[in-house]
Amino acid sequence: MSVPDVQALHVRWLGKKQGLVTALLARLKDVPKDEKAAFGAGVNALKREVEERLAELELAARRNDDAAAEARKAVDVTLPPRPVPVGRLHPLTVVRRRIEDAFRRLGYDVADGPEVETDWYNFGALNFPPDHPARDSFDTFFIKDGGTGDDKLLLRTHTSPVQIRTMLSRKPPIRIVIPGRVFRKDEIDPRHSPVFHQVEGLLVDEGITFAHLKGTLASFASTFFGGRAEVRLAPTFFPFVEPGVDVAVSCVFCKKAGCRICSHSGWIEIMGAGMVHPNVLAAGGIDPERYSGFAFGMGIDRIVMLVHGVPDLRLLFENDVRFLDRRWA
Amino acid sequence: MRFRLEWLASYLSGEVPDAALLREKLTSAGFIVESVEGSGAAAILDVEVTPNRPDAMCHRGLAREAAVSLERAFQDAGAGPLAEGATPADQLATVTIAEPLLCSRYSARVIEGLAMRPSAGVEHQRLEALELAVISGPVDATNHVLWDIGQPLHAFDLDKLAKGDDGRAAIVVRRARQGEKLVTLDGVERELTNEHLVIADAEKAVALAGVMGGLPTAISETTTRVLLESAHFDPGAVRRTSRFLGMHTDASHRFERGCDPAATVQGLDRAARLIVRDCGGTVAKGVIDAVARTAEPRRLTLRFERVARFLGMEVPLERCLQILRALGLTCDEAGGLIRVTVPTARVDLVQEVDLIEEIIRHVGYDALPETLPATYVSPHLDPALAREERVRDILAGTGFFETSTYSFVSQKENAPFESVAPGAPMSLQNPLGEPFEVLRATPVLGLLKTATHNIRRGTADLALFEVGRAFGRDTSGPLETRRAGILLHGARTHHFSEPPGAADFYDGSGAVAAVFQGLGAEPPRFAAADLPFLAKGRAARILSAEGKDAGWVGVLVSTLGAEYDLGDAVVADVDLMAIEPLPIPTSIEAPSRFPGSDIDLTVTHRTSVPYRTLHDSVVRGGPPELLSVTATSRYQGEKVPEGFVKTTLHLRFGSPERSLSREEVNAWRDAAAARLLALTETRVDGYEGAPL
Repeated sequence: MSVPDVQALHVRWLGKKQGLVTALLARLKDVPKDEKAAFGAGVNALKREVEERLAELELAARRNDDAAAEARKAVDVTLPPRPVPVGRLHPLTVVRRRIEDAFRRLGYDVADGPEVETDWYNFGALNFPPDHPARDSFDTFFIKDGGTGDDKLLLRTHTSPVQIRTMLSRKPPIRIVIPGRVFRKDEIDPRHSPVFHQVEGLLVDEGITFAHLKGTLASFASTFFGGRAEVRLAPTFFPFVEPGVDVAVSCVFCKKAGCRICSHSGWIEIMGAGMVHPNVLAAGGIDPERYSGFAFGMGIDRIVMLVHGVPDLRLLFENDVRFLDRRWA
Repeated sequence: MRFRLEWLASYLSGEVPDAALLREKLTSAGFIVESVEGSGAAAILDVEVTPNRPDAMCHRGLAREAAVSLERAFQDAGAGPLAEGATPADQLATVTIAEPLLCSRYSARVIEGLAMRPSAGVEHQRLEALELAVISGPVDATNHVLWDIGQPLHAFDLDKLAKGDDGRAAIVVRRARQGEKLVTLDGVERELTNEHLVIADAEKAVALAGVMGGLPTAISETTTRVLLESAHFDPGAVRRTSRFLGMHTDASHRFERGCDPAATVQGLDRAARLIVRDCGGTVAKGVIDAVARTAEPRRLTLRFERVARFLGMEVPLERCLQILRALGLTCDEAGGLIRVTVPTARVDLVQEVDLIEEIIRHVGYDALPETLPATYVSPHLDPALAREERVRDILAGTGFFETSTYSFVSQKENAPFESVAPGAPMSLQNPLGEPFEVLRATPVLGLLKTATHNIRRGTADLALFEVGRAFGRDTSGPLETRRAGILLHGARTHHFSEPPGAADFYDGSGAVAAVFQGLGAEPPRFAAADLPFLAKGRAARILSAEGKDAGWVGVLVSTLGAEYDLGDAVVADVDLMAIEPLPIPTSIEAPSRFPGSDIDLTVTHRTSVPYRTLHDSVVRGGPPELLSVTATSRYQGEKVPEGFVKTTLHLRFGSPERSLSREEVNAWRDAAAARLLALTETRVDGYEGAPL
């Protein structure tokens, strides 16, 4: 029954001129006096009854009509949604932020500096003597017509120059992490890129020990990888730290049982570290007799490859959107 | 670097150690054993020796470390007795050091009456195991000594050296003459400069000091008399020669890193003994020993309390002394001060902290506890970094994909964008190649290449950005600015319900405006611009509210688009530090409770009159109740004269304090219309004006 049908019924029963109930009321005057009251009450009851019934019918009819109208507006909900543009951060950003956050929780600030540096900030102040073979593993891009000696311009080979800049501009205690883009003259292949990214850290204060370095890196590894990561240090050489260590963390993916990520060794080598060399502190204007400190550095690109199983470093710089559009976090 | 187990074991007490055990021990002491080939005494260990440890680039030196790690006694039998003949060596040759700063010592011996035969015995096997050519007794002996005790030697044919006036072969250590030539042992003629240190005879250069000998004075099958050189050269001098000439030899590798200045005579004696054993002959009496500087062993003081203070862990005094002594250091301890004499071979031990490293290296890093420093530094947020991070989030949140592209591009790619770089182009002296020779003028360059790559791989609808640096230089030096490069190509979004619309200029300026808004700055202004890489009429400079140049946005000019295989690409480059965020408000008003009033004004004006002019003429002189002005439609066509366009402006009025009356809104509307009509060649619908 539609709304007009109900309206027709309304006219038929309650219409002012010919409605059936209206007609009954009109006959009231013909009813004997002593029956008038009963008759009147009966008709009023009937009227209420009819009104209620009609209201119910009308409500049902209205619902019916609305439903029909709605049905005409129905959509196929399984069709693709209208895209709201949502982009993605690059995996290098996602992983860098995870590294920074792990150190922020330990109170580290984030610092950065120029990508075009001078020989002094990149090498000299970091205890690389001129003409020293230690520079060999830092194959350096130099700027054309970029001067000579300490002022010779180059693309920084590590973010360590920011350590020097920070030491020269702030008094200890210093506690920073330095993310940034660095450059080395490596041919482009699945594991090498002339452009890559690092996060370095520096802490300088009175009474800083090697055990602090180990504890800090263990804390970082546990936050970053989740779970309780062990840290293993192995001696190595970097001119700017003494002692220098290679840092491996126990593989949290296989709990040291051996897996693809740790190359079945149970350990993941993630960074280099060490106690800041007294010559470096001195270059930063800090008294090495009073202060000590530690520094560490890791390659973000390598960690992206490691934790996400990215097979080829070049994918990070090719920026194929099908690659970028993955769940990096 | 290859080491033979038997050779190492010759310096250790007891049996030949197990290769696997030695591998583990050496690796944990900082000498990473990358592989072990073969088995038993003949096993070969491939060991990575760090550049600070030239002393361990020989069997005796590495054996010293092995002895400490394995807790074995270290033993060195030395050269053994060397029989000398009657003829004094200094009657046969003289040595003069003309460059005492570059050569501290030059020791020589002469051996006469030789018959050339290759080396024999275990030395022969050792050289073959190290993949060194076995040539002749004298050459093999010099190679053996280098790999045995780390002292590089050279053997000259004495009879091929030019003699001085006194009839003796005259060795001179001097700088090469400018343009002096020398054919080295590898048969290559080298042209030298005054930078290069050479060994010369009375007439000419006969060897590149510390790098390689000369061919004309080399040992041959007919050689009977040999002059053996054993010298100590300055690391920098050797490095300059080897780098300049592109020559890397076993000798230069060691000299560059630092040889033992006191080992020259030891080296001679060991070699002479082997040569005489294999080729017969007689060693002339005495060593011709020119000493420019005597190598004094370095003396260091280790404060014992420093060990614990530096490591964060106690190591007993006895253990410290035991390790240092086992490494060949002489130690005297009194009252907590350890006075240490460092063997001249240990060029890496120069400071107290170096001694602490020796201790912890052999105690083992596993013993170190893990503690956290109590350092407190009040937090500091770098505003530039915070801004970069915010922009990444804004753009990724509005549908852009972040990219990471190389900072250097080709000269050809960079050229069209030079005018918008932070300065003149900055090139690399030694680029990887032509595609990477100049530092980019804008990160958009990487986005263009990224777009090409994606289109070729079948994705043509692109929204990309990179937050990174642009480079240039001026007279003050290098210039770097922090930028956000943006690129849009193809459709912004695709849905079956509507026709696809290609990204256009306004998508680009919209993204730029989103960056400004997200950073809390006033909206940017866009001023039509003429830029060589953007399509004419669809190019703009981005200006901050204060009028600062904050980059550019536009559609890539079609000629460039074609080079990158792109259709209409919308590109933008925002100078992030030119954006001026407003201070965060400290009193935010509640929104007005009174209804506002919206009105439209439709203006017909020349297409050459920018919307900005209409907007500004409405705003300037408007009442404080004028809250906003925007454009809601543009129309060209029927009833609009050629060269004109109809723009509908939408004005919103409101007051925080009261309801506006119809009369005052009408008055404002009339005043705004009047200001529009005052512009040249405009009409406003509903108002009288001159016909167009």
